[in-house]
Amino acid sequence: MAVARTSAESTNAVSLQEVRRTYHLGKPVHALDGVSISLPAGSFTAVMGPSGSGKSTLMNMVGCLDTPDEGSVTVAGQDVGALSGNERAKLRGTELGFIFQQFNLMPRLTAAENVTMPLVFHNDVDTGRRERAEELLDQVGLGDRLDHTPPELSGGQRQRVAIARALVNEPSLILADEPTGNLDTDTGAEIMELFEQLHETGRTIMMVTHERHIAEHADRIVHLVDGQIEEIEQPGGEP
Amino acid sequence: MKITESFRISWRAITGHKLRSSLTTLGIIIGVGAVIVFMVLGGAFEANIAQDIREGNDEPGMWVNTQQEAGGFGGAQILDNPIYTESDVEALESIDSVDFVAPEANLPVAQLEHGDQRQTGGFGIEATAPDRVESDIVAGEPFAAADELVLSEDATDLVDGGLGVGDEVQLNLEGGTTETFTIVGIVEESPGGGNSRVPTAGYVSLDNYGTTVETPDGDRERAYSSMIVAAESAEVLDQAQEATVDYLRTESDAAQLKEDGQVIKAQTVDDAVDQVGDIIDQFTFLIGGIAAISLVVGSIGIANIMIVSVTERTREIGIMKAIGARKRDIIQLFIIEALILGVIGAMIGVVAGLGIGYLGATGIGWPMVYPTDWIAIAVVIGMGVGVLSGLYPAWRGARVDPIEALRHE
Repeated sequence: MAVARTSAESTNAVSLQEVRRTYHLGKPVHALDGVSISLPAGSFTAVMGPSGSGKSTLMNMVGCLDTPDEGSVTVAGQDVGALSGNERAKLRGTELGFIFQQFNLMPRLTAAENVTMPLVFHNDVDTGRRERAEELLDQVGLGDRLDHTPPELSGGQRQRVAIARALVNEPSLILADEPTGNLDTDTGAEIMELFEQLHETGRTIMMVTHERHIAEHADRIVHLVDGQIEEIEQPGGEP
Repeated sequence: MKITESFRISWRAITGHKLRSSLTTLGIIIGVGAVIVFMVLGGAFEANIAQDIREGNDEPGMWVNTQQEAGGFGGAQILDNPIYTESDVEALESIDSVDFVAPEANLPVAQLEHGDQRQTGGFGIEATAPDRVESDIVAGEPFAAADELVLSEDATDLVDGGLGVGDEVQLNLEGGTTETFTIVGIVEESPGGGNSRVPTAGYVSLDNYGTTVETPDGDRERAYSSMIVAAESAEVLDQAQEATVDYLRTESDAAQLKEDGQVIKAQTVDDAVDQVGDIIDQFTFLIGGIAAISLVVGSIGIANIMIVSVTERTREIGIMKAIGARKRDIIQLFIIEALILGVIGAMIGVVAGLGIGYLGATGIGWPMVYPTDWIAIAVVIGMGVGVLSGLYPAWRGARVDPIEALRHE
């Protein structure tokens, strides 16, 4: 296991070095206060912490939606802080897959169209998209719901569509923000099974959650408190 | 992002809000429709006038008259100015391409009497050459003597019981003399031309016309204020017109007799149609311009709805940005949405405008015209209005911060 970790660290999907992000809301709030962490390729990391601990800010940093005030964020080999808005948009569209608590699907587009949406912005080839959507929706168990729009789908089904969408561009990293937060326990368990499968096929995943039993699906759990990493725990294994 | 993709996604957004989209395009429909309606009606009116002018003027020829040079809005002012002398008429008749020259002279007539009936005012009598009426005779024959008269068809009911060939009428000339004329023929409508402000009731020989002027050579000759110059054929009409104008403006007595600031014109039917057309065009543009104001209102409507739409779709914009949309992708989506609304509005407006214009024109009895250039302009304006009114909302959409937007409920 120790050997495997060493080799994995040599190819990091994401790495953060001493990242600081301060919001000035009356008095300065250090949302992230010197965070350094690497996400090796193929790893499954859960981030836990109370409200205001900086989970969302960390998520936004890794997701290239926000840039650090200090320190550096490297995603797929690129220094995010040095990129322009359009370059970060391109990085999001080609190297990252987002899964949200609110599913965040386009309400008027069909499941298949939602899945291939990231390709619309950064891929000029529009042949084979339908097949790609079919393949991915099949993979998440929605092979028969291609032309349904989100309002016609249940919560669990919507999240499956979102997962298929996150996979469509073969991302270096999948980012999940409370993916089971809006689902009942059984459906949540099904979704977590899908995450396990993704992990087994070698995907790199970072998931933010406040539920312990959800976090335990990951290789390691990062505990954030007041913008700093308090502990990195490895559930079911030695520290 | 490919344009076709933008169209697909924008179209979904439009059809997703059918009522709102319909109401938005309504502004453009009304604007474009109103412009087209007025252009159709203006064109139809013009075509109708042109038809009226050409009717009964199928002989190739031109009308020579004198006009005030600086004719402002409303067209030229035609002067009653006897400057075309007998010598000029003869000179023109000697031009090869000219068939005949028929001087026109309005006789001041106060009253027409037939038996014990009298008709006072409201008509005029014109002295002219018999050639002038020959082709329009529907009954009888042209006048040959000074006391013969050819009556216009419209004037046959000037007195109760009507007038016909063979009847005698007395004309009280304004000089105070009364002359008796025998009606020898009837002509269909007015053979055109004529500078009187009242309808011409009949035509008599030039022998009844007495206005003379002193020519530049020192003689006294009869002179006319306008005349019809007929060409040998339609093919040589341009040639005849050129020769007539050339002569009249240089060597003629008229060129010497006219005052400064007056210009000698030889107008063919086409020229007359063009002249009237120009005047009607000015009015049409004026009214069309007023109608175009409603287009501005329509564009404000589109901009308004698009701004609401951007606010409402903040979350969708956030999602698109999170999964890789750039600013320009968002701008493209909203501009295309506005463009589609503008173009659809313009197209429906054109169809509606043509429809209403058709009903209006045929209802009045005017010929239908299709203002093709205005249809093209309307569609282009519809697109322009769409894009312009989409610019600001699109810019606002592109500025949306995805982090904020995804928090937005």
